[in-house]
Amino acid sequence: MNVGTAHSEVNPNTRVMNSRGMWLSYTLSIGLLHHILLSIPFVSVPVVWTLTNMIHNLCMYLLLHTVKGTPFQTPDQGKARLLTHWEQMDYGVQFTASQRVSYLLTSFYTKYDRVHFVVNTVSLLTVLIPKLPQLHGVRIFGINKY
Amino acid sequence: MAESPATKEAHGEEMCRPLKNGLKPERNGSARNLHRNRQNDRRCQADEEEEEEETILQHDSLYSRPFTESFEETPMWVAVLTNVGYVILIIFGYLRDLLRHWKIEQRHIAREKEEQKDFVPLYRDFQNFYTRNLYMRIRDNWNRPICSVPGAKMDLMDRTSHDYNWTFEYTGRTVKDVINLGSYNYLGFAENTGPCADSAAQVVRTYGIGVASTRQEIGNLDKHEEMEKQVAKFLGVESAMAFGMGFATNSMNIPALVGKGCLILSDELNHTSLVLGARLSGATIRVFKHNNMQCLEKLLSEAIIYGQPRTHRPWKKILIVVEGIYSMEGSIVRLPEVIALKKRYKAYLYLDEAHSIGALGHRGRGVVDYFDLDPRDVDVLMGTFTKSFGAAGGYIAGKRELIEYLRSHSHSAVYAASMSPPVVEQIITSMKCIMGDDGTSIGCKRLQQLAENTTYFRRRLREMGFIIYGNDDSPVIPMMLYMPAKIGAFGREMLKKNIGVVVVGFPATSLVESRARFCISAAHSKEILDTALSAISEVGDVLQLKYSRRLTQNAPSAHLFAENMFEDIDH
Repeated sequence: MNVGTAHSEVNPNTRVMNSRGMWLSYTLSIGLLHHILLSIPFVSVPVVWTLTNMIHNLCMYLLLHTVKGTPFQTPDQGKARLLTHWEQMDYGVQFTASQRVSYLLTSFYTKYDRVHFVVNTVSLLTVLIPKLPQLHGVRIFGINKY
Repeated sequence: MAESPATKEAHGEEMCRPLKNGLKPERNGSARNLHRNRQNDRRCQADEEEEEEETILQHDSLYSRPFTESFEETPMWVAVLTNVGYVILIIFGYLRDLLRHWKIEQRHIAREKEEQKDFVPLYRDFQNFYTRNLYMRIRDNWNRPICSVPGAKMDLMDRTSHDYNWTFEYTGRTVKDVINLGSYNYLGFAENTGPCADSAAQVVRTYGIGVASTRQEIGNLDKHEEMEKQVAKFLGVESAMAFGMGFATNSMNIPALVGKGCLILSDELNHTSLVLGARLSGATIRVFKHNNMQCLEKLLSEAIIYGQPRTHRPWKKILIVVEGIYSMEGSIVRLPEVIALKKRYKAYLYLDEAHSIGALGHRGRGVVDYFDLDPRDVDVLMGTFTKSFGAAGGYIAGKRELIEYLRSHSHSAVYAASMSPPVVEQIITSMKCIMGDDGTSIGCKRLQQLAENTTYFRRRLREMGFIIYGNDDSPVIPMMLYMPAKIGAFGREMLKKNIGVVVVGFPATSLVESRARFCISAAHSKEILDTALSAISEVGDVLQLKYSRRLTQNAPSAHLFAENMFEDIDH
């Protein structure tokens, strides 16, 4: 099924995040997740916000920074095989903006409780740090190398 | 907000400003004033904000006829639903992979041998993810075996699958007279009867089928020379050379023309053969936005001002590579503007007319004829015989010195076997037919029929409410499907109604924009087109494919009221 692409860009993964409607779908899905968590009866509102933030950051970490390569064969001879999706993308400023917004909202709604604060900050850092340009291609302790 | 060329030159490096007014006063020969239409109003890197991109050029000295292209923007709810669809498919894909890992479900994809588990992996499971979980589900829409001539109607071999498309079995039946909307048969020369087929059969008796050599050695037949003279005459250039494979024509000849130290400016949506040829050549490649002349001009001027990347020496050659008709979008290149730019900045132009030769222009001579331009303005004319001539292979045409150079320096000429004689005869006969040299008007009629069919089909699809991409005159018609499930559904539903269509999805197109691509042929009669259109409309209603939000000129509700209804009310 290696039909190749109709576009000069040999790795379509780089353009997936630019597709139309991606940003709206992303926002809607976070909203949906938040709603589902809110409807659990015994969980309080601050905990829900923290949970949303944590789950969002966890999913984003797994999808963008753990999974490597492409789910299809590309004609670029496997250049992207060892790269995570974040490293394959050409830009992603929107995502760091969304994390900052999420972090601020969560901090506000948890009324700056200390435990929540620590949990949220750690969660945010796990997602922000891999996005720094200095960490492009860096694998700490050899985790996720191949 | 009119801008004078003086202020533009002052802002040399800035992004191209959007021009707010549509038309500007003409200045003949000046490339700065080429961007007159709204299509060029957007910046090179900005996203499209308008609802639709419809471009109609009214009076422009470069274009001899109106140039109408439209690429209606994806409705937002459709894009969101498409993304949701892909997410669901991915979730189910991971779930099934888990089941396969736990051996609850069968595994069909190749796996490592047990004793080689510790080696560097040969197969990466994740790389097959898309193939396993998305492509396999709808695989029955592709690679359908055809057992007749792929003319206006064809016969398919019926096949079923008992393990969800992993393997196919032939039932033994043949599905007869399936309307063929997928073959690149623009002028209807894919036939097994008639003068072309007869002369080809005659040539087989004289020359045999194989040539058993390359062009440079013993494989240069007098038929090849005749065919090349014919091609040169057809295109209106000095000389031409033909190769056995269209893909190989591009990928083997671009490296012969450009090398290291040269610059290739290629369109975003160029075919894989052009991309491969450009990469093999070793030249620097810069990509400009599809059909965006402002972007091309910006790249050209930057290339000339700044030269090569580190040394700033001038480029040895600058080659602009464009196609006549882009088959995934159905758009036609803005050739008059490209030629004006090329002349101003002294670059070379490589025009790939794979889909447009024989299909465009009132004499069928391709996109150069369509715009009434001089073929000598294009440096390298390339095309294929597969689409409009019912043969196989490709050609390169241009000045005599260029073609002589290619005869000895092209990989295809030196190492590949030459074209088979019956194929060559098919090309000669079909070309004579199109030119009218065989004494009949069949060629002329076919060209007219193709143009009529194209206009009719596009108009009807538009009226029905589908989103169609591309130029109004292009016989390639991509119809948007968007959602992944609809790709499979559309292909199968159309086959149930005895119509064969080609559907395309990610990664051959972008993620959201999957489409069905119709190729109109002169062999299609109006009845066939009407049958196809009513079937498409039915399937479109069932699958809810009529996404277009344009107001159609003929409101569909007008047909609901018969004329005599009002008369009855009056009485």
